[in-house]
Amino acid sequence: MADRSAFSPENLTANRTLFWIAAVLAALMLAPVLWILGLSLKNNQDLMHGTDAVFRAPYTLKNYADILVNSQVFGWFLNSLIVATGQTLGVLTLCSLAGYAFARLEFPFRRAIFIIVLFGLAVPEQAVIIARHQMFNWVGLHNTHIALMLPGMSSAFGVFLMTQFFNAIPKEIDEAAMLDNTSQFRIFWKVLLPLTLPAQATLGIFTFLLAWNDYWWPLISATKKEMYTLTIGIASTQTNFAQSEGLGFLSAQAIFASLPVVIVYIFFQRHIVTAVSGGAVK
Amino acid sequence: MKRLLTGTALATLAFAGMGHADTTIELQRFFGACDTEFGNVTDVSQAVGECGIITALINKFEADNPGIDVNVTTVEWPGYDQLNAQLASRAAPDVVTMHYSAISDYQSRGLLDPVDDILAAQGIEPSAFTDAARSGVTKEGKMYGLPFDNWTMLFHVNLNLMKEAGLVNDDGTPILPTSVDELFAQGEQFKEATGKPYLVQVLANETAAYTRALYTFLQQQNSDFFADPKAVDLTTPEATAVVELLKKIYDEGLTTTGMDYAAAVSGFSNGDGGIAINGTWLIGDYVAQSEKEGTALSGGYTVYPIPQLFPGKDSTYADGHGWVLPKKDRSPEQVEAIGKLFKSLADNDFQWARTGHLPAVQAVFEMEEFQSLPHRANIAEIADTGQSLPPEVLRQFAIQDIIGEELAAAVHGDKSVEDALETAEKRINDLLDNI
Amino acid sequence: MAESYRRSRWSNALFVAPYLVVFFALLVFPLFWGMWLSLNKVDLFGGGQFIGLRNYARVLSDPVFHQAVRNTVVFVAVSVPTLVGLGLFLALALNKTTRGSSFLRGLYFSSSILSVTIVTLIWRIVFIPNDGLMALIFNVLGLEPIGFLSTKGWSLFSVGVATVWWCIGLPMMLLLAALQQIPADLYEAAALDNAGKWRVLTRITLPSIKPTIMLVAVIQIVMQFQLFGQALIMTNGGPAGSSRPIVMYIYETAFIRWDVGMGAAASELLFVIILCAAMFQYWISSRKEVA
Repeated sequence: MADRSAFSPENLTANRTLFWIAAVLAALMLAPVLWILGLSLKNNQDLMHGTDAVFRAPYTLKNYADILVNSQVFGWFLNSLIVATGQTLGVLTLCSLAGYAFARLEFPFRRAIFIIVLFGLAVPEQAVIIARHQMFNWVGLHNTHIALMLPGMSSAFGVFLMTQFFNAIPKEIDEAAMLDNTSQFRIFWKVLLPLTLPAQATLGIFTFLLAWNDYWWPLISATKKEMYTLTIGIASTQTNFAQSEGLGFLSAQAIFASLPVVIVYIFFQRHIVTAVSGGAVK
Repeated sequence: MKRLLTGTALATLAFAGMGHADTTIELQRFFGACDTEFGNVTDVSQAVGECGIITALINKFEADNPGIDVNVTTVEWPGYDQLNAQLASRAAPDVVTMHYSAISDYQSRGLLDPVDDILAAQGIEPSAFTDAARSGVTKEGKMYGLPFDNWTMLFHVNLNLMKEAGLVNDDGTPILPTSVDELFAQGEQFKEATGKPYLVQVLANETAAYTRALYTFLQQQNSDFFADPKAVDLTTPEATAVVELLKKIYDEGLTTTGMDYAAAVSGFSNGDGGIAINGTWLIGDYVAQSEKEGTALSGGYTVYPIPQLFPGKDSTYADGHGWVLPKKDRSPEQVEAIGKLFKSLADNDFQWARTGHLPAVQAVFEMEEFQSLPHRANIAEIADTGQSLPPEVLRQFAIQDIIGEELAAAVHGDKSVEDALETAEKRINDLLDNI
Repeated sequence: MAESYRRSRWSNALFVAPYLVVFFALLVFPLFWGMWLSLNKVDLFGGGQFIGLRNYARVLSDPVFHQAVRNTVVFVAVSVPTLVGLGLFLALALNKTTRGSSFLRGLYFSSSILSVTIVTLIWRIVFIPNDGLMALIFNVLGLEPIGFLSTKGWSLFSVGVATVWWCIGLPMMLLLAALQQIPADLYEAAALDNAGKWRVLTRITLPSIKPTIMLVAVIQIVMQFQLFGQALIMTNGGPAGSSRPIVMYIYETAFIRWDVGMGAAASELLFVIILCAAMFQYWISSRKEVA
C-alpha cells in the first residue's frame, strides 16, 4: 500500500514546478484585490494627493462605518440572500430532476427536447429581457422576490451540466438497484443523487454567484427601494458625480458587497473539495 | 398570511377613514443617498452637497407639512432605465428628477403630465423662472416639469498655477483667452512656465464633455445646427472649426490625456493642470479644497463660464435638472401635495444653488446671500448666455453618445475631422429618421 | 426488469416537466416574442407597427454593428482559448490534496464571486492614469504610462484582462472535477509501463477529460459572446467604438435610443451568431475524434 500514492493520479498530473508557477500567478491575481483593500482603509482626502498614500499609515475603518450606518443596507443584503438562495435551490431541484431523466430515462422526443434545451444555452439575456419584463407585468409580479428568482431558473446551463454528470456515473450502479425493484424516484433520490454532490456544489455556487451579482434584471424588476438587491442598492447611493473620487469609500463598498459571497464561498468550498476528491466514482 | 395582510389593509383603511389621512408622494431621484449624515437635518443651511441639500430640503418640507409623507427612492444616475421599466409597467412614481434634455422624449410619447395648473394653483408664475430654466421644461407651449437649476460646463481655474505662468491680472483675476489664438498663446505660455498642460479635460470613457464643447462653440458661431429638429447639420465650416480646435489642443499637448471623469476631477485637485473644463456641480468641492491648507488649490481657485472664443455671440450649452410628473391619475389631495412640494422646492431654490448649479428661480440671482456665495458673480451671466438644444430635438442622450464617440475619434487622430463629422451626422439623422 | 426501465414511457418525462415549464415560459416564449418585436417598429411603451424585416436590414447595414461584431469575435477568439488554456494549466498544477493547492484553488475561484460592478471598479482603479496601480508601476520603472482604457487596441485588451481575471475560476473548477474522475487504474497501468510524464499527459489525462474541455470551451464561447458590463463600465465601448461589444450595441439601441424593434433584431442576430459559434466548436471537436 505504501507505494500506492506514487501511482495516484495526483502525483502524475501535478508537479512542483507547475505548482510554483500557479502560486506566482496567484500573487499577480491577488494584487488588485490587495490594492483595493488598501485603498478601502484610507481616508478619501489622503488619497486625493496620490494613491501611493496606501503604503503609509494612518489607516481607518471609517469608510466601512459609513456604509454600515446606512440602515437600508441590511434590507438589501437580506433581499440578495433570499433571492440567491431561492434561485439556487430552484435550479438545483429542476436541473437534477431534468438531468437524471435526460441521462437515464427514455421518453418520447427525449433527444429532440434535449437539443432544444441546448439551444437555450445560446440565448443571450438581452434577447428575452423585454418580453420577460412585460410578462411579469401582466401577472403583477414585479417588486417581489419570486420575480427576481424565476428567470434564472430557466437557464439551460444547469440542465446541461447535470446531464453530463449523471451520464458520467456508471450505469451498473442503477442497474443493480433496479434488480431490487426500486422505484425510479428512489433510485434517483437514494442512489444517484448522493453521487452527484460535487456537481451540485459546483452548480450551486455558480448559480448563487450569478443571482447575487445579477444587475439588469433586478434593476428593471425591483424598482421599489425596499426590494433593491445589494448590487442595485449600493449603486443607487453613489453620489460620485458631485464629489471628487472618494476612492476609499468606493473601494470599501466593493469589499463590503463581496464579503458575504466570499463567506458563502469559503463555507461551500470545503464541500466542493471533499466532494470532488471523495465523491468521484472509483 | 394572506388573511393577515387583508386584515391589516382593512384596519389601515378604517383608520384612514377616521383621522385625516397622510397623503403620500412617491418621489424618485438621483443625486445619491446620504440619510446617515443628513437624514434628520431639517435646517437646510446645515446641509452641503447635492445629496445633502436635496435630502434636507425634503425633510424640511415634510416637517412643514405634517399631513404629507414623501417617500424617497434613490436610483443610480441617471435612472432612466428604471423609469422606463416603471412606465412600461404603469408603475411610475409621482415625482421624478429628469434632465431638461430628456424631457422631450417622454413628453412627445405622452408619458408626462404638464405642471402649469399645479404651479398656477400655488401662485408660481412661469416668469418667476429664468429663461434658460423655463425653456428647458417647456414643450409645445406647456411646462412639463418644475425647473430646479441650470448647469453648464465651466472653466475651473487653478490660480496658483496660473500665477506661476504669469496669467493673473493685478487684481488677482485670471487672464483668460478671448479668442482661439489667445487660447493657444496662453496655453503655450502656461505649459512652458509650469511644465503642465493648460487644460484638464475628460477625454476618456465619456462622451458628454466633447458634445457639450461642440454645442457651446457652435452656438458661439451662431451655427443653427438643429434648424430642423429631425436632422442635424454637422458638415459645416463652423463644426469643422470646433473639432479642429479641440484636436489642436490635444495635438499641441495643451491638455491632459487619457483621463476619465473621476480622474479628471481629482487630477485638477492635485494640480495636474491649470484649467479644468467641468461642470457647475464641482464648485462647492473645489471651493472647500481652496479653503484648506496644503492642497494644490489652497487659496487659489476661481471659476468662470467658458469664454467666448468665437466672434459670433457669448453662449454656453446649458442643461438642467427638473422635477417631472409621470402621467397617472391623481387625487386632488395628491395634486395639492405635489403643488406644495414644488412651491417649497422653488422657494428654497437658493439652497440648491449652493451646490454650484445656477438657480432656476430668477429672484435668487438678486439675493444678497446668493451674490455672496463664492464666485457666483463670475458665472451669473450664464442665466442669460446659457442655451440648450431646441426643445423639439428628441433622444438627446443618444445623440450625445454619437457625437462624443465620433469627436473622440477625430481628436485622437483615429479619423479625419471631416470623416468624423460626416459619420456623426449620418448616424444621428438615421437615428432621428427612425423614431 | 432492466428492460422496462429502459423502455420509453411518457411518465418518465415527468422528471423533466418542471424544468420544461420554466424553460418554455421564461426562455422560449420570450425568445419568440423577441422575434416578433424584431419585426415591428416599437418602443418600450407598447404600440408598434409591423415593418417586416426592415429592422434586420438596418442592423445589417449599420457600420457600428459591423464594428461591434468584429470586436466581439476578436474578443471571443482571444479570451476563450486563454480561459481554457489557463484553466487547464491551473487544474493540472493544483490537482493535489495539499493545503497549498487547495488554498490556491480557492484563490483562483474567489474572483468569480465578485459582481461585474466590483470587478470593473477594481480594474478601473488598476488601469486609470495617474492614480492607477499600473501608472504607479510604470512610474517606478520609469516607463511612459499607457492609456490602457483610452487607446485603441489597449482598451479591448484591458477589458479582456479583467474578464479573464474574473472568469478563470469556473473553467479551472470544472476541469479539476474532471481530472479527479479519471480512474486511478489508468495511471497505474501507465506507471507500470514506465510512461513519461508528457506521455501520460497526452495519452491518458487529456483524452480522458476531453469531453470536459469541450464543455468548458462551449460554455465560455457562449458567455464571452455576451460580454457587456466590463466594456460598458470600463471603456464605454471606446475609443471610437473599438471596444463596443454586440450586447452593448443592443443595449444602446433598445434602451438609450428606445428602438426596441431594432434592438430585438440585433439580439436575434447575436443568438444566431452564438449558436453558429457553439456548433462550429462542437463540429470541430467531434470531427477530430472521428479522424
